[in-house]
Amino acid sequence: MNTKSMLAHRIHAYDFAILELEIYLDTHKNDSKALMRRDAFIKERNALIKEYETRFGRFVVTKKDIGASNGWTWVNDPWPWEYKESEL
Amino acid sequence: MWQYEKKLQYPVKIKNPNPKYAKIIISQFGGPDGELAASMRYLSQRYSMPYAELKGLLTDIGTEELAHMEMISAMVQQLTRELDEKEIVASGFDTYFVDHTAGVYPVAASGVPFTAAYFSVKGDVLTDLHEDLAAEEKARTTYDNLLRLIDDPDIRDPLKFLREREIVHYQRFGEGLRLATDKLNAKNFYACNPSFDKGCGK
Repeated sequence: MNTKSMLAHRIHAYDFAILELEIYLDTHKNDSKALMRRDAFIKERNALIKEYETRFGRFVVTKKDIGASNGWTWVNDPWPWEYKESEL
Repeated sequence: MWQYEKKLQYPVKIKNPNPKYAKIIISQFGGPDGELAASMRYLSQRYSMPYAELKGLLTDIGTEELAHMEMISAMVQQLTRELDEKEIVASGFDTYFVDHTAGVYPVAASGVPFTAAYFSVKGDVLTDLHEDLAAEEKARTTYDNLLRLIDDPDIRDPLKFLREREIVHYQRFGEGLRLATDKLNAKNFYACNPSFDKGCGK
């Protein structure tokens, strides 16, 4: 795995940890420790995205991450079910 | 509404195609305890949930199940790449191939197509939550069975992730059931439907 996909992988790991906390919070809405942990993870995730973007350009998750200056890259390959041999 | 994120919830990168495995894994897309049924079950049950936490839980778990459906579909797609006719016949994938080629269509491992009869919306908070708890366990058993039959680590890894999610969802639904029963008057418990009867549990 190269640095670019390693960074993306770490961001996605944060995404998962955040989602897990959010589902937990649905049934534990007064757990302030979990709420604070979620805030901390979001901060760490944003820092990683900043690092990614200074080195490799826009980190695209949703369409709103794409601005006019990049062109409509939303439709570019690869789509999530595809990967290149070099990624293995 | 929903917003698509252009990524899988957990990576699926399978080196070696294997149509025999694709034929059994597809059951977790369109089978009786698959991810499509799970997602449609939770997202449909939301509307008759009387309690805010449960509307939130069903929305979030129902949404996550859509992401699981995408992971299963990705596995099926990667397992059926670049097949030749000989492999298709030898693997037993021919019975699927004849109708769908290498497209991804929701069927059970037996070939039975997806039907909404795989899930229910009873419109009663206690009834629906018990269905949800059972559904998570049935999906977990199905993943256990797939893990018994599959030895490729590239496939086992995402299957183990998905199996783990069933256990976490079961836990959350159990807490949801507890929240719902806590809101009911013990005397009215099971004697009225809090999703329909006015004042039930009050």
